[in-house]
Amino acid sequence: MQQQEIHEFLERYFLANDCELKENQSGYMTVQLTVDLDKELMNRPFYWHYLEKTGGVPNPMTLTLITDSSKVPDNLKGETIHFGSPRLHQIFQSTKKLASFIRLYEKSSTANSQQTPLKPWICLNVKVSYQCDRKKDVFQSIGLQLINGQIIEDFHDKLLELPLTPKIPDYSFTLSPLIMPKSGIKRIEHYLISNLEAENHSWADDARERWQKDLNLLEHFYEDTEEKSESYEIEKLALKDQYEPKINISIINGGIFYLRN
Amino acid sequence: MTVHIEFDCSWQDEFITRMNNDGPWGNWELYKLAVEVEKHTVIPEFEGLLAPNHLAQLTPLPHQLEVAKQVVENMNGKAILADEVGLGKTIEAGLILKEYMIRGLVKKVLILVPASLVSQWAMELNSKFFIPAVAQRKSYVWEQYDVVISSIDTAKRSPHREIINEQEYDLIIIDEAHKLKNNKTKNYEFVQNLRKKFCLLLTATPIQNRISEIFNLVSLLKPGHLGSETAFYEKYKKDSRSLDDDEHLKELVNKVMIRNRRADTGIEWTKRIVETIPIEFSDKERELYETICLLGGKGDTINKSQFSVMTLQREACSSREAVYFTLKNMLQKEENTSPAFQEQIQHVISKVEEVQSNAKAEKALELIKEINDKVIIFTEYRATQLYLQWYLKQHGITSVPFRGGFKRGKKDWMRELFKNNAQVLIATEAGGEGINLQFCHHIINFDLPWNPMRLEQRIGRIHRLGQEKDVKIYNFAIKDTVEDHVLKLLYEKIHLFEKVIGELDDILTKLEFGNVEEHLIDIFNYSSSEGEMKIKMDNLTSMIQFAQEMKGGIQHAATGNS
Repeated sequence: MQQQEIHEFLERYFLANDCELKENQSGYMTVQLTVDLDKELMNRPFYWHYLEKTGGVPNPMTLTLITDSSKVPDNLKGETIHFGSPRLHQIFQSTKKLASFIRLYEKSSTANSQQTPLKPWICLNVKVSYQCDRKKDVFQSIGLQLINGQIIEDFHDKLLELPLTPKIPDYSFTLSPLIMPKSGIKRIEHYLISNLEAENHSWADDARERWQKDLNLLEHFYEDTEEKSESYEIEKLALKDQYEPKINISIINGGIFYLRN
Repeated sequence: MTVHIEFDCSWQDEFITRMNNDGPWGNWELYKLAVEVEKHTVIPEFEGLLAPNHLAQLTPLPHQLEVAKQVVENMNGKAILADEVGLGKTIEAGLILKEYMIRGLVKKVLILVPASLVSQWAMELNSKFFIPAVAQRKSYVWEQYDVVISSIDTAKRSPHREIINEQEYDLIIIDEAHKLKNNKTKNYEFVQNLRKKFCLLLTATPIQNRISEIFNLVSLLKPGHLGSETAFYEKYKKDSRSLDDDEHLKELVNKVMIRNRRADTGIEWTKRIVETIPIEFSDKERELYETICLLGGKGDTINKSQFSVMTLQREACSSREAVYFTLKNMLQKEENTSPAFQEQIQHVISKVEEVQSNAKAEKALELIKEINDKVIIFTEYRATQLYLQWYLKQHGITSVPFRGGFKRGKKDWMRELFKNNAQVLIATEAGGEGINLQFCHHIINFDLPWNPMRLEQRIGRIHRLGQEKDVKIYNFAIKDTVEDHVLKLLYEKIHLFEKVIGELDDILTKLEFGNVEEHLIDIFNYSSSEGEMKIKMDNLTSMIQFAQEMKGGIQHAATGNS
C-alpha cells in the first residue's frame, strides 16, 4: 500500500463511519470523530465512563493523520501513518470488527411493479493461513445458496458488481432457506477442508525436516547432561511453536445476501 | 503426511445470534474495505518480503534484501548482523523491523545505539521507512511510544532501567553489539533481562571465533539453547579454541549470524587513494623533538614512565600545544617532584616556547586551499584541534570542531554546520565513531592513530555506501621521527589504508594469532625502547604478510587441484 492509497483508505473509513473531515489535504487530514469512533479508537474508557456518570456533554476528539510529512505545514501536529504503523493496524482491525456481519438485498434494476423473489446466499470471506516457520495466506470468498446448495468461489467479486442495499427493496420478497444458515456454514467448512486436504503439502514436510535438524542440534548441546533442565524443555517447545506446520482458516467477514439469481 | 487444519468457529455463533435478533448489521462500504485490507495484508508466498512493496522510494541493495529475507524466513527474527563497516546495517535492520510491523508481529520496539547515532537512526527510520521512531529524551517515552531509540548508557540507568524492565518488547535492536561479548558487564546483564520476542544484534567486528563470545551472544538471542554455561565450557574449552573444528557450533553460528563482505556484495566501491606526505620539521621544531628524545635516554626520574616519552614524541609530531598541555599536566600530577625533574620539564617548556611555526599546519593549509572542497582533519590531540581551528581561522578558512564528548544535539549541529557552512571539520579520535559524512571525500590524517581499528573507523566515516567519489586520504608524517617509522613499518607494509580491517582480522584468526589491535597496544604501550618497538613491529608485519601469503597460497592450491 503506498502512502496515497493509505490516504484514500482512511478517507473512506472515516466517511463510512459518519465522521466529518474538517480538513483533507494531500498529505494530511483532520477528522472530527463521532462518539462511537472515539470510543473505538482513542482508548479512553475512563473519560466516557465519567461522562456517562455525570451526564456531561460528550466532546469526542479530533484526530490529525499525516500520510506525507513533506507536505505538512510546520505548525501542524499529528500522527504519521504508514503501512505497518500501529494506528493503521488498529484501524484495519476496527474495520474488520465493525463489518464482520452483514445482510444485504439486491435492488431490482428495472422499475417494474412485478414482485421479485430474492434467493438467500451465505457468503464467507476467509483467510487460509499456512503456517510453519514461514507463513503464507490465501484469501478466499465462498458463497453458498441456501436453497439448492450451489457453491461459488470468488463470491465477493460477484457481489461487487451488484446493486445492493441494506433495506429490502419495494416489490421484492425473500425466499425461505431450505438449508439452515448454520449447516450452510458447515458445508462451506467441509468444502474448504476437503479442498485443502487434496493439496500437496510438501511445504509441511520441508518444515518438519528443518524442525528435526534444529532438534538434533539442540539435542547435541544437551547430550552430556543427565537430567534435561527446564531450559531444554523451553527451547524444545519454542522450536515446536516455530516449526510445527498447520493450517488455520479464519473468517474475515461474511453474511447473508438476498439475490435475484 | 497430513497437516492439522483448524477452522475458526467463533464467527458463526455470533452470526446465528444476529440472524435471530435481526441485526445489527455492518455497513457495506466498511465490509468492502475490510476485504480490501485483508487483501493488502495477506502474505502471498512463503518466501519473500512484503516491506519493499510498501517503500516505493527506497531501493535496498541486493545483499540488504537478502539479509532481511534470511532473518525473517530462516532465523525467526533472532540474528547477529555482522556485515563489514559501511554496508548499510541500518537499512537491513530497518527492513526487518518494517517487515515485522507490516505482518503485525511487532509493535513495541527498543533500539539501543551509541549516543552519537541516536538522531541518525531516528531520522533514517522516519524518512526512509515511515517508522515513527522517537529518540529518547524524557523518561516517559518508554511507555508512551512504540518505537524508541536510546543509548544503552541512558537506558541502563535509573529511573529508565526500572521502567524498561516493565515493558514487553516485540523487537530489540542493538547496534555495536560487540560491546556485549563479555557476560560479566552491566550492559550484558541489562540486555539479558529485557523481555523480548525478536532480537537483532548489529556489529561490524567479526566474532573472533572465541567460544565464550559465541556462547554469550547466542545466549542473548536464544537463552538456554547451548545448554548450561558450565557444561558448555567443559565440552568445548578443552577440545578446541576455534569453532571451525566443531560442525555443530559452526552450524549454529550460521543459523544466527550473517556476514557480508564488501567484496561479496557486487557493489562497485569507490576507490581509496592514499597519499603519504612527508613533512620536514622547522629547525625549532626539530630541536624540541630532539630534546624530548633525550629525556628518555637519561636514566632519571622521567625515564620510569617510558610511555610519557613516547607520548611526548608523538605529540611533538602533532603540535607544540599538545606537548605543552601534557607537560603542564605532568608537573601538576607529580606530587613530590624533584628539582631536577622540574628543571627538565622547564627546559622542554622553554623549547616549546621557542617554536613559532607548525610545519604540518602550514602543509595542511596549503593542501586545503588546493583541494578547495570539504576536508576532514583527524588529530589525536585536543590541543592540536584547538590550535588548528585558530590557525585556519587566521587564514580565512572556516572550520568546525568535532569530539566524542559532544552531546548528541551538538554533534548533529556540527555535522550540519560542516555540511552547509564550513569547509573543514576537525575531529579528534573519539569523534571518529558514529558520524556519517559521505558528502565529503578528503581526509587528512594530521597525525596517525596507532591502532588500525581506529584508522578504519576514521576512513569508514566517509568511505561507505552513499559515497559517490573516490576517497582521498592524506597521511602526514614528519621525517625521521617515531611517526615516520610507524607509517613505514606498519601502514605501508601491510597496505592498511587500502584494506578493510575485517579482512586482516579474518586472516589473523585463521592463524590463531589474536587480533591486530591487541598486538599494537602491546607494542606501543609496553615496549621499553624504540628499538624494541621496531623489532616487535617487524615481527607483526612479517606475521601478517606470512598470513596473507598463506591465504593466497591456499586459494592458489585449491584452484590448482581442481
